[in-house]
Amino acid sequence: MKILMLVMLLCYSFASSSGDTTIHTNNWAVLVCTSRFWFNYRHMANTLSLYRTVKRLGIPDERIILMLADDMACNARNEYPAQVFNNENHKLNLYGDNVEVDYRGYEVTVENFLRVLTGRHENAVPRSKRLLSDEGSHILLYMTGHGGDEFLKFQDAEELQSHDLADAVKQMKEKRRFKELMIMVDTCQAATLFNQLQSPGVLAIGSSLKGENSYSHHLDSDIGVSVVDRFTYYTLAFFERLNIYDNASLNSLFRSYDPKLLMSTAYYRTDLYQPHLVEVPVTNFFGSVMETIHTNSAYKAFSSKTSNSKINSEMPLNQLSEDDELQKANIPNDELKTEKQKCPYTQMRVDLQEKLEKLENVDTVVNLSIAVMFIVVMVSSSLL
Amino acid sequence: MAEEQKTKPCRFWIWALTSVFFRLILISFKGNLNLSSRPEVSTPLTSIRRLAEGYWLKQASMSPYAGSMYHGSPLLLSVLGPLTVQRIKGQPSHLLCSLVFVIADILSAMLLRGIGQKLQMAYGLNARLLGFLKSSRDKVILPCGDIAALVYLWNPFTIVSCVGLSTSPIENLAVILALYGAVTRRVPLAAFGLVMATHLSLYPATLAIPIIILLGYGLDAPPIKLFLQTRSVENEKSSTSTVSKQAKSKQTTRLPFLWKTVVHFLFWVLLWSLYVLVLCALSLNKYGGLEEMFKRTYGFILSIEDLSPNIGVFWYFFAEVFDFFRNFFLIVFHVNILFMLLPLAIRLKHRPCFLAFIYLAISSILKSYPSVGDSALYLSLWALFVNELVDMKFSFFLFCGYLGISLLSPVMHNLWIWRVSSTQIYNPTLHIIATKCSNDHNYFWIFHYRAQETQISTLETLLATRAFRSFLWLRA
Amino acid sequence: MASLVRSWIPLLVLQSFLFAIAFGSTQVEEFSEALLLKPLPDRKVLAHFHFENRAPPSNSHGRHHHLFPKAISQLVQKFRVKEMELSFTQGRWNHEHWGGFDPLSSMNAKPVGVELWAVFDVPQSQVDTSWKNLTHALSGLFCASINFLESSTSYAAPTWGFGTNSDKLRYGSLPREAVCTENLTPWLKLLPCRDKDGISALMNRPSVYRGFYHSQRLHLSTVESGQEGLGSGIVLEQSLTVVLQPDTTSIETNIQPSWSLSSLFGRKVVGRCVLANSSHVYLQLEGRLGQESKNVDTEIEAHKLWKNADFELSFKPDRVLRESSSFLFIFDIDNASDSEPFDLGLTWKVPSKWSCQQAPLHASRFLMGSGNERGAIAILLKATESQESSPVRELTDGRCTIKANVFQIFPWYIKVYYHTLQIFVDQQLKTDSEVLKKINVSPSTDKVSSGMLEIMLELPCEVKSAAISIEYDKGFLHIDEYPPDANQGFDIPSALISFPNHHASLDFQEELSKSPLISSFKEKSLVRSYTEVLLVPLTTPDFSMPYNVITITCTIFALYFGSLLNVLRRRIGEEERFLKSQG
Repeated sequence: MKILMLVMLLCYSFASSSGDTTIHTNNWAVLVCTSRFWFNYRHMANTLSLYRTVKRLGIPDERIILMLADDMACNARNEYPAQVFNNENHKLNLYGDNVEVDYRGYEVTVENFLRVLTGRHENAVPRSKRLLSDEGSHILLYMTGHGGDEFLKFQDAEELQSHDLADAVKQMKEKRRFKELMIMVDTCQAATLFNQLQSPGVLAIGSSLKGENSYSHHLDSDIGVSVVDRFTYYTLAFFERLNIYDNASLNSLFRSYDPKLLMSTAYYRTDLYQPHLVEVPVTNFFGSVMETIHTNSAYKAFSSKTSNSKINSEMPLNQLSEDDELQKANIPNDELKTEKQKCPYTQMRVDLQEKLEKLENVDTVVNLSIAVMFIVVMVSSSLL
Repeated sequence: MAEEQKTKPCRFWIWALTSVFFRLILISFKGNLNLSSRPEVSTPLTSIRRLAEGYWLKQASMSPYAGSMYHGSPLLLSVLGPLTVQRIKGQPSHLLCSLVFVIADILSAMLLRGIGQKLQMAYGLNARLLGFLKSSRDKVILPCGDIAALVYLWNPFTIVSCVGLSTSPIENLAVILALYGAVTRRVPLAAFGLVMATHLSLYPATLAIPIIILLGYGLDAPPIKLFLQTRSVENEKSSTSTVSKQAKSKQTTRLPFLWKTVVHFLFWVLLWSLYVLVLCALSLNKYGGLEEMFKRTYGFILSIEDLSPNIGVFWYFFAEVFDFFRNFFLIVFHVNILFMLLPLAIRLKHRPCFLAFIYLAISSILKSYPSVGDSALYLSLWALFVNELVDMKFSFFLFCGYLGISLLSPVMHNLWIWRVSSTQIYNPTLHIIATKCSNDHNYFWIFHYRAQETQISTLETLLATRAFRSFLWLRA
Repeated sequence: MASLVRSWIPLLVLQSFLFAIAFGSTQVEEFSEALLLKPLPDRKVLAHFHFENRAPPSNSHGRHHHLFPKAISQLVQKFRVKEMELSFTQGRWNHEHWGGFDPLSSMNAKPVGVELWAVFDVPQSQVDTSWKNLTHALSGLFCASINFLESSTSYAAPTWGFGTNSDKLRYGSLPREAVCTENLTPWLKLLPCRDKDGISALMNRPSVYRGFYHSQRLHLSTVESGQEGLGSGIVLEQSLTVVLQPDTTSIETNIQPSWSLSSLFGRKVVGRCVLANSSHVYLQLEGRLGQESKNVDTEIEAHKLWKNADFELSFKPDRVLRESSSFLFIFDIDNASDSEPFDLGLTWKVPSKWSCQQAPLHASRFLMGSGNERGAIAILLKATESQESSPVRELTDGRCTIKANVFQIFPWYIKVYYHTLQIFVDQQLKTDSEVLKKINVSPSTDKVSSGMLEIMLELPCEVKSAAISIEYDKGFLHIDEYPPDANQGFDIPSALISFPNHHASLDFQEELSKSPLISSFKEKSLVRSYTEVLLVPLTTPDFSMPYNVITITCTIFALYFGSLLNVLRRRIGEEERFLKSQG
């Protein structure tokens, strides 16, 4: 009995720790801007700055989920149509020519965000809107907007709470949707948003502590609003110096934040993250630099966990065809059933229906009947 | 005395005819004084505009219930529908409909008068039987029938709902018809009234209980125990043996219940409801039949699909309640009416007319789409019990409450709809409810504490008014 | 040995030929691109980019495409789409100045936001499911929230009012959808040359989105092959219509502003798309009266057409075509390259005025009434000047009439009273039977489906104005059904006015098989115009206090219930006390 328990424990520990032996295969980025309205231009610029960085350092559009709650670039108030700037000097057009936004406008809701994270979508949702990560993925989750103590506001109408986020991350871990997850939050009191996280493999950094606000960097008099937040501005300043080949580590990124310049304390949480920050290059999350292994032998698929960990991400198109066939198969069955069920009562009803249909001027019949009803009432009440 | 009695009917007829003329004058104004657009007057169930829309859809070979506009009876559609379309040249539109409502009001008033006369007779009889209770008030018994009829005709709520083209006068007529039939023991008439009232709006179904009690036990009378007590007091004076006392107290503890009449009534109810259902099925044959009708009329009333403002509690609540709890609260709100049926029936089985009045008052508060027409009905039924409610406390206060609400409500409505400052509209609704509740309780207590001015009744009333005042403060 | 080989070769050739026939690979995919420039009377310039891609029918299921976008062919196959049109538009087409009677405006003057309609080739019961899946697939493909059209409250099934007569047609519109670079990016990725080469390289995003009107449209239709075993071919038409205002530095405001491709787009054409069959730039000038009679054949006369006292083009056109009063200059850009870019420019020398032909009636729509309870919608049809000169006159019963179809969708919270529909002709109320020939009403159901109204009017030709008005009540929504910016209001999608007896076509009387744009102009297209989108403010509840409302209402209920029970209970106590005191 005890030996059995020991054996089971060993197996379980193998299974749980086997996550460590998975290979880092791809990088994903989920970039969320949760604010609406023109005066929140800077949140859009924040998200688009990260988008540009992440694309520049190698993550393709197919592996980026970009959620923008409002349209700033082609907003009627924007003097520079199709252009979004994060700096007063207007050097960099963040919108560019090739931006692809996956969730737009009213679609950016807490429900959709959690669906993206957990992968629980309706059948019809297309692939480009799904986070199709697997157990070897490194995911960067960047959120910006207005927030507070343990919540993040979505479009001024609803909020995402820290335990919602923690639950979603927990589900992701259970479903093996990531190997490592980095959460970067740029809102007021951002660090409180990941208070409830408990899943291993998660690294989180927020722009401010509880009780602190996160400030915008500067105001662009031409556009008329603040164009970038401090935390993202200094993050970008760090990344603009890099290219895809640089080996800058996460530690250097986190050290680069100066509380005096940020006017808040950028707090990060590494208790759930095993590797040392000095050894982790930033391109593990912010870019896509893969380790290439040169081999002379013929190609063989890597023998790490393949069967039980891969989520069955069926193509919605294929599923539709199966449903089509099912539907087609069901129709003749129903017809057979209805024929068998015809009994004399229904026959009588059908005949009555047909007779009534043939009866023209139903309205006059009804009117006459109502008149008859009144007469009967009067007669009966006077007699009885 | 005889002269007084003669002049009273003359005075009554003068007042009645004046009210009819007043209505006719108001009808001739163009646009019905915009009363038909007020939410207090026309609800999704009673609006004539929706009826016209339903009729148009029917004429265009579509189901009258398509478009979620019309939610009433198909029979009403057949009767009133053509009237909404026909126009007499030179006259305002909907004139024929308004005339129908005026006639309905007149009929209701006449029937109320009849009910009142019967009640008055019964009251006089009982007063003489309980001679000593009436010694202090050996005055003229008020003609509650005339008073009730005049109150009905001159109640601003009734006038407004008649001129404002809502179908509530017809619903009120059906209810009063049922009561009249029950009071005058005309069973087919009572059954017809009940079936029509239930068919037009669901809530008068609760009147089945007082009507059965009316037909079974007879008219309103003080509790049997009072009779017994008077007799026992009298007997006490005459005899001293305890055995005879007990024996006599056990006598006539219950009035005989006339089962035959009740069975007769149920038979007629069945007959009329079958007739009505067959007619409805016939007229809706092509458009889904009875199932469609029940879904769109009773289903609509019970599930509150339309959230337009009215003087009820439901609409704002269901505009803001979380979806998860919607069904729960729907059930709670409707059960609140049902809950009180049995206890009230047990309490007031000796006064079935008053029971009917209380039921109507409760359903007009807790209805899903109330309008001022419902309030009009129960306010005039209140007048039937004038003799018993002579010394009602706080009547002035309540009267002012009603007046205040009637004036406040349109102002708040204006603020919300036209000047977009929300939540103001819910204000008067809550006040109306609070006032109505306190009103009801007041009536109730008066019946039982007439001789005893208890502190409890004042305390209860004070509680209600305190709640009323606190809402005023909250909303200000 | 050689003779054996020689005898094998014809057999091989015959075999390959037979194979080719058997698999239908003799037809190839075709792609063509075109740019049409047209100066507009109000100092603006219209640029119309047109790309057409044809996939021939073939019987191989997973067909190989080298020009046609696979995403589209998969879409057509999966959802069995017979015809579909998707447009993203911002701005309003100014019918008075930019015309309404030519094929360009009939096909490209679209309503604001996203408009999608599709005809399916599936059984009637599956049309709604296919529509739903199509909207989701398109939302992923074009980075727009087209998936909001999946719910039955946002789409309708028009019948004859829409022009396409089919019961498997579904139509939906999202007026508030933003249109920006992210919608153009995937649209351009459907082209073989993307936006790297050819005419599509001109599309500088800030220039396009700075325009007064921009509309990108995608139209696909399947072509039945007529042969058993072969699938159907697909024709994909993509067009981008932009109305731009050239920068004016000229002091003389009478003269139209001069422009060139570089001044409009900031770029020049540096080469054609090598995968395109044909690649042309067209310049259309309207209202060039007095020059029709001139002979085009002589060299000098032809030269005068593009370089004369009125205006001057910077490049010599390869061909000039004319059709009544409009001229079409055709430029071939085969020779354009980096060293010799093609930068077409037009310089005006004298003030010129002309007008574009308009539709018989100019349609506009507006709201009547005030307040948040009720209102009325009115459509006004005004006669335009071109009506008198219109050559098309329809005679019905000896009278000249204009037929107009009106198609409108009403969201469910606009509860329309159809019995209040009134039609005024020349400010006189007409009874329905005089003017209203056909009417189809599909009333809305609360929270389930939207309402639809299609009417056909027959108006006399001499009509000055006609108006249709209909009253409505505003509905009240549940707190969850309001969008985050609820105080902005809600939109009623554009109404479509079409004239079934009027067809617009431009026939340049030249056989140009290589130019799909010109051949599409030749086809008669229904004259149609879209009205404005109406913004309707609805009353909002207080979003901040759902808890308050619930607790206050429940408190009142508790008071009512409690005190009533109390009163009932008290009676017994009192009675007992009374009895005790007596006994």
